Amino acid sequence: MRKVAIVGGGLAPFGVRQATWKELAQEAGGATFRDIKNLERKDVDSLFVGAAMPERFAFQSHVAPMVAEQVGVTPTKVITRTELACASGQSAIRMAYACIAAGLSDIALCIGVEKMNIPDPPEMQTSMACVLDREFDGVQGASAPPFFALCANRHMHDYGTTREQMAMVSAKNHHFSTTNPFAQFQKDIPVEKVLTSPMVAPPLRLFDCSGITDGAAGVVLTTAERAKEFTDTPMYILGSGQCSMGSNLANYKSFSTWFPLKEAAKEAYRSAKIGPGDLDLAEVHDCFTISEIMEYEDLGFCEKGKGGKFIEDGKSDLGGKIPINTRGGLLGTGHPLGATGIAQAIELMQQFRSSVPRQRLVDNAEIGMAHNLSGAANVHSILIYGRNPP
Amino acid sequence: MTATIRLPYLLDFYPLQDEKYTRIHQFFTNLKVGRFTTTKCRDCEKLHWQPRAVCPDCGSENLEWVDLPKTGEVHAFTAMLLGAPMGFEKDLPFVMALVKLDGLDFKILSRVDGIKHEDCKIGMRLKFKTVTRDDGRVFFRFEPIG
Ligand SMILES: [Zn+2]
Repeated sequence: MRKVAIVGGGLAPFGVRQATWKELAQEAGGATFRDIKNLERKDVDSLFVGAAMPERFAFQSHVAPMVAEQVGVTPTKVITRTELACASGQSAIRMAYACIAAGLSDIALCIGVEKMNIPDPPEMQTSMACVLDREFDGVQGASAPPFFALCANRHMHDYGTTREQMAMVSAKNHHFSTTNPFAQFQKDIPVEKVLTSPMVAPPLRLFDCSGITDGAAGVVLTTAERAKEFTDTPMYILGSGQCSMGSNLANYKSFSTWFPLKEAAKEAYRSAKIGPGDLDLAEVHDCFTISEIMEYEDLGFCEKGKGGKFIEDGKSDLGGKIPINTRGGLLGTGHPLGATGIAQAIELMQQFRSSVPRQRLVDNAEIGMAHNLSGAANVHSILIYGRNPP
Repeated sequence: MTATIRLPYLLDFYPLQDEKYTRIHQFFTNLKVGRFTTTKCRDCEKLHWQPRAVCPDCGSENLEWVDLPKTGEVHAFTAMLLGAPMGFEKDLPFVMALVKLDGLDFKILSRVDGIKHEDCKIGMRLKFKTVTRDDGRVFFRFEPIG
């Protein structure tokens, strides 16, 4: 297997954008090529488009060739769309990684894009709810906020996690996003404001939830061997893990432990030949505040049941044991489903380059993790990245 | 009876239920007479949720319909207060719970009628009920006992 690196990438600003799905893809493509000085569009032989549901949000299917045209590439080796709901962006990177490692592609572009703000919010909510088992769970009212609320309800019951601890996750990530001009939300949201925001799905309130976001992001992957042709500061893929368990909620082993996350983490650490203690920082999927708390535990950053204490003690903040979600996370930057996993990779790459604003810089970071869950947390996807070659 | 808003098929959460559309039409036929059922594999004895056409464990299509317990308890609960999908806006707010059915490992997600989320508790006893829409389609929910 060939070693693989990311050589650059760029973002379209996240938010409620006055732009179409196609235009967001154009912006991400433009920003990506601007970031990689020695790369020409004709050098790209493959394209992977992370997009969760353009059929619903943009009434458009067969989007990969459309993106190729929008960003000006002509793939001659592999072209496809990757769909894994909230992890669609990371899936694009994973598939590009696999193809380059296997020798099917030499230079692959990944573009993640989602346009979620549409004129009719209930129609958007309908689309989001069909990420779960629509016939048996969606019909009962299940969608993302109720599902994560059930996990929060059970985690509070099983481990004594508090409302305040969950609010601290939101306050931390919103504070990081004040340093990020690409974020949907760039204002501080203190703990008291989280605790008094409107109830959405008890115990979760508005600021426990990530936003409904338009956005796009792009990265380019090539072999570790060729990476230095394009940049002095490649970011190498050190390992990966992914696990899917169940779909209908009745078949879950637990709602306060995410077993597929523990499995994905085990494989990611094994393949990267590291343990959780070797990570200098991590981008984890904080679609809801409770998610980040459960991820501290099930990724092995702290003992099971101590995730609430972990945020309370500042261990996931800058200067703590492992700074988490320095770009502002999904809570602060928003969550355009297809773009999120790629935006996380860009944050780690910029951290390794020390090109992020000083206020969120993790000094001398060498190893970082990007994690996404998807759907009702039945799938977990992890990539481990390094500043140095594996 | 629950009011029906006519939506295009691909925006409607309620499944089409008769034998023209699904191999598990018996599930819905049983609901109509108040039975809460699922499939069980005659070859490997696996009890399924949701009801199946093919056993996921052994691949058999030799399945039978069996009755599920109609009582259980709240394993976890929440409610939808904001952000309803199309067709659910008029139902807000409503409570949902993972219902641990008596004697089984299944924790089935269900709407819970007749209670406010502020009054819900983990461990609370619930019983099965059915709702029929005015287009004749049927589904199950739970409600507090007593
Ligand atoms: Zn069987």
